[in-house]
Amino acid sequence: MQAERKESDRQVSQGSFRRFIRRPEIGAFSGMVVILLLLAIVAGDVVFNPLGIKNNLSIISQLGIIAIGACLLMIAGEFDLSIGSMIGFAGMSMAMMLKWGLPFGLGEASPFMAFTLTLCMTLFIGWLIGNIVVRSGLSSFIVTLAFLFILRGLTEVSFREFNDGSTQISGLPDFKETDFFAYLFGGETFKWVFTLLYEMGFNLNRLGNQWVIGLDAKVAWWICIAIITYVVLSRTQLGNWIYATGDNKESARANGVPVNQVKIGLFMFTAFCATIFAACQVFDTNTADAAKGNLKELEAIAAAVVGGTVMTGGFGSIVGVIFGAVIFGLVQNSVFYISWIDGSYYRVFLGTVLLIAAFANENIRKRITGGI
Amino acid sequence: MAKTAMAKTAMAKTAAEPLVKLRGIIKKFGPFVALNGVDMDIYPGEVHALLGDNGAGKSTLIKILSGVHQPSAGEIMVDGNPIVFRSPRDASAAGIGTVYQDLALNQLMSVSRNFFMGREIFKGPAPFGMMKLKEMDIITHDEMIKIGIDISDPHQAVGTMSGGQRQTLAIARAIYFGAKILILDEPTSALGQKQQMEVLKTIKRVRALGNIAIIFITHNEIHSKLIADRYTFLSLGEVIGSGTRESLDGDDIRRLMAGGAEMADLEMELGKI
Repeated sequence: MQAERKESDRQVSQGSFRRFIRRPEIGAFSGMVVILLLLAIVAGDVVFNPLGIKNNLSIISQLGIIAIGACLLMIAGEFDLSIGSMIGFAGMSMAMMLKWGLPFGLGEASPFMAFTLTLCMTLFIGWLIGNIVVRSGLSSFIVTLAFLFILRGLTEVSFREFNDGSTQISGLPDFKETDFFAYLFGGETFKWVFTLLYEMGFNLNRLGNQWVIGLDAKVAWWICIAIITYVVLSRTQLGNWIYATGDNKESARANGVPVNQVKIGLFMFTAFCATIFAACQVFDTNTADAAKGNLKELEAIAAAVVGGTVMTGGFGSIVGVIFGAVIFGLVQNSVFYISWIDGSYYRVFLGTVLLIAAFANENIRKRITGGI
Repeated sequence: MAKTAMAKTAMAKTAAEPLVKLRGIIKKFGPFVALNGVDMDIYPGEVHALLGDNGAGKSTLIKILSGVHQPSAGEIMVDGNPIVFRSPRDASAAGIGTVYQDLALNQLMSVSRNFFMGREIFKGPAPFGMMKLKEMDIITHDEMIKIGIDISDPHQAVGTMSGGQRQTLAIARAIYFGAKILILDEPTSALGQKQQMEVLKTIKRVRALGNIAIIFITHNEIHSKLIADRYTFLSLGEVIGSGTRESLDGDDIRRLMAGGAEMADLEMELGKI
């Protein structure tokens, strides 16, 4: 006699390949592979030479840092549109302290002091935004849109006030040459890889010397932040709380998840990511500009969505966002190497990919919640 | 023989002390009297059906038991000690586990992540402690088997489970985290026939554990007859009838379910139209 068919029998156990192709990152991963192949065919010599790799990774990691912040917040069910303005604000704050010293006449600012004070301010703003969102129950879209304007406006006003009407600061001392802390943000990393390449004969300039010294420090920051957030999100208690908060806030709360604290913490984390972004820029170029970071919040959200993060929260992964950032960074940077493509096609591409990804994510979400 | 044995166990149960005693519970919302002096005794190892029409006060009573509302007057005693619940947390600390209709489950998350939501097993400093995912999977699987469902994959998303399986997950979770009094708020509504039977089986298995008192809120007379050991009927905020399965017969139950109206009267009223 045949054993009785049970409810659990309907859940067909799938092979590892089927499981693999149902992962949230798979769309972004295939997109990345396609773009890498296309670029290799069309412009392999300029995109994949040592300088191309350095420049590409610089753009990718820069976007990747803020995309991770945006992704975690989106998994918890909220948006942050103030990331871009926060970058401008943090850059301005650091540059002004480095140029005119600490506030209230407390003397010269070391890079460490400038960074730390700025981080305190941005974390406070993130905390404030988070509190407004969770206490008022307003949509984070509106609250952070307000801070997009407020922070950008404050940045411009402060610049003009101190800087004779100019919204740029340039010609800061090259701190990364003299100060280790500044070097952490503006210096170079993975030098050994390029030294090795040079010794193998791949990294030569026209004179036969070493061409590229190393990657920008922000690449290392991106990798560190990605590894830490990956572990936090997929393995720790906090990670479970983040997913639970974004999936269904009320049921998370009923089970004792501190929903509000999770959200406030993540708003602070996006502010942290924006500050790291700004610090890398300031200490690398020794300049600051009130317009820095403009529209970056939208690129960050786009990269998170392309990486498989569901807009309504509860679903997404760090690995996906890494692929998302690679896709956007690569295309944004590489179209400029290819002379016969108008660089603005980058935006057309971004929009198209975003739309496709949003459809795909919605499809996955429905599949899981039983809609299909 | 069997009958006397059953009568004996019924006797033994009535002889046992109730786990929870409600005495004279009154709840007013402004001028509206939602509950007007409700008494109820809840015994371990029994299914206590709480029946009544819409607006009879079932939900208010449950919310008082689970600490969401505070009674305007009256007393709740757990294990003979008077107790005041200021919040759902207090109630849950006293061993009252409520499984609401929405079940407080997250659809996109896996079974074991849902099971341990907010109460994860972890090593290291909270909230950055590393979850012991293996251990959590094993416990989830074992606890669900205890009350009758073998989930093949603890990583499957709750959204892919059937309504009955979700109900079992929510119940298993409440029991594992120390519920001695399990409140099930219309667990069979919004389910298909087969799923309803699964849930009733689950309730029976929980009852068989022996130490857990189950309060089963339902509209469904047949379901209550199938599994309840004791009944309380509410109408317009008052208890209009209560008793054990043995002391009430089918007609009583039907009459009390209709809020005290006789079936014949209803038929007559319908006949007039």
